[in-house]
Amino acid sequence: MEHATTSARIILILFSVIIVTQVIRAQRGQRPFIRRIPGLTAIEEAVGRAVEMGRPILTSVGMGGIDIITLQALAIVTHVAGVAARFGQRIILPVRNAAFVPIAEDAISTAYNQAGRPDAFSEQDIIFLSGEQFAYAAGVSGLIQREKVAATFLFGQFFAESLIIAENANQVGAIQVAGTPSTTQIPFFIVACDYVIIGDEYYAATAYLTRQPTIMGSLVGQDRVKMAVIGLIVLGAILLSFGMPVVWNLFFDKELATLADYFKPQGTLIQSLGAGGGK
Amino acid sequence: MFVPQTGITLWLFILGALVVGGGVFFVLTLVPTRFRKPLIAAVTFLAGLFFALEFFLPVATEGETKGQNFLTPFLKPVSAWTTILQGFALGIGVYSLVSVHLRNIARKREGRGFSVVLLAAIVAMAVPAIWKEYNPDPRLKGFYEIIYDGAFNSLNATMYSVVAFYIVSAAYRAFRIRSREATLILISAFLIMLGQVTIGQAITNGIPNEGFARNFRIENIANWILTRVNSPAVLAIEFGVGIGALATSLRIWLSLERGSYFDEEL
Repeated sequence: MEHATTSARIILILFSVIIVTQVIRAQRGQRPFIRRIPGLTAIEEAVGRAVEMGRPILTSVGMGGIDIITLQALAIVTHVAGVAARFGQRIILPVRNAAFVPIAEDAISTAYNQAGRPDAFSEQDIIFLSGEQFAYAAGVSGLIQREKVAATFLFGQFFAESLIIAENANQVGAIQVAGTPSTTQIPFFIVACDYVIIGDEYYAATAYLTRQPTIMGSLVGQDRVKMAVIGLIVLGAILLSFGMPVVWNLFFDKELATLADYFKPQGTLIQSLGAGGGK
Repeated sequence: MFVPQTGITLWLFILGALVVGGGVFFVLTLVPTRFRKPLIAAVTFLAGLFFALEFFLPVATEGETKGQNFLTPFLKPVSAWTTILQGFALGIGVYSLVSVHLRNIARKREGRGFSVVLLAAIVAMAVPAIWKEYNPDPRLKGFYEIIYDGAFNSLNATMYSVVAFYIVSAAYRAFRIRSREATLILISAFLIMLGQVTIGQAITNGIPNEGFARNFRIENIANWILTRVNSPAVLAIEFGVGIGALATSLRIWLSLERGSYFDEEL
């Protein structure tokens, strides 16, 4: 069983307090500024293009289970569905988890209802394909080719199937917007898609799209925490360079006495993180 | 109580769990709508609080309970609730799936042939997979192996191999020099690819692998790009993603997130 060390307790609780404080401040009326995220501003463009072409839009929430990453993806896809519903546009959502079908149906049908176009929603378009990775990829690729989709929105946890799906959509000339927290799949999306949401932009998406105070406050909190992390890294690097490994010793099992210890084998930051050597 | 059961006790436990689970779901349907969201918020908070306390509370450093606090023994049983709830969700999912495809067939919709194939596939995979657990007949196991290992896994491997061709077509587009970024991608990818293969390493084999000159050997250049440029960038992205996940988890745990994505706030 893994348990928090003293430094993890302090850091996690401190970060949580920063985020919750910013959420409360935003709920009380403080309106933060969010910079433009090109991938998300392209949603209306992509939907508009699909309307002009008279072809459907394909969305995917990836290969994850019912977890935070997939729910975040569903929140983005639901927003896309809301925009599409305003134009009476058809959205296809193939899923890989049978248990996720009713959740997706509820979220997408709610988006169509709120746009005043419940008639444009069809439960036939929330399709369970397969729980297996490549069967799912084959199914999505088939849908893309048969329906000649005009746009794809690929958000969520992706693995090796990311390129199969994105390349098939590229072949039919679809405009593509993708976002994933999987760092190994980001390069595939970058080469195959028109717009890609990278890293924590993935979690900023709902704040950007909905402008809801709670989520915007949370986003500001995330940025404050990032600044704190960057500050710790810079401080740690400076102190370590002057032979004072105070910050390093706070986080790593392998304590350093001098700067020379850092350069000994197995002592670099990257190797320690990779080997799970964090405290 | 939290140990695996067998025989009649196991069946009594299963029956009891189904009755209690069904009873809880029935009681939940009777809860007035205005109390449902506060109820969900309370249950979510309590469930999250258990895991948070278990993680944060100090643990014993010696003795039989070394590495545990007073909540640790309950961790496995409480985590099992997730699996049980997912089981209910799976049941709803299968019901939804089967009903949609039965309706397709009954209403003679276009593409109903696929619905027939899907329902037949569910039966063909589920029946032998469950039956073989209770029937030692090797023919049954053989049938399961033919359709799963023989057909399904081979089809999976075939689909995976297709990725190689898509990598080539995607790489071709990415490597066309249209911008400074594309040029950087091309040069770094070229160097890393050369650094990974023997023919690439052979190009700079004449350079001594010591002193300042070693920095010009292709495998060392490739390694430098991977560990000093690529790894920090990936770590930075993962830091951001981790902080995003922490913020989203906090919003869900404290029910600050809106209830069903795009309805009013709690």
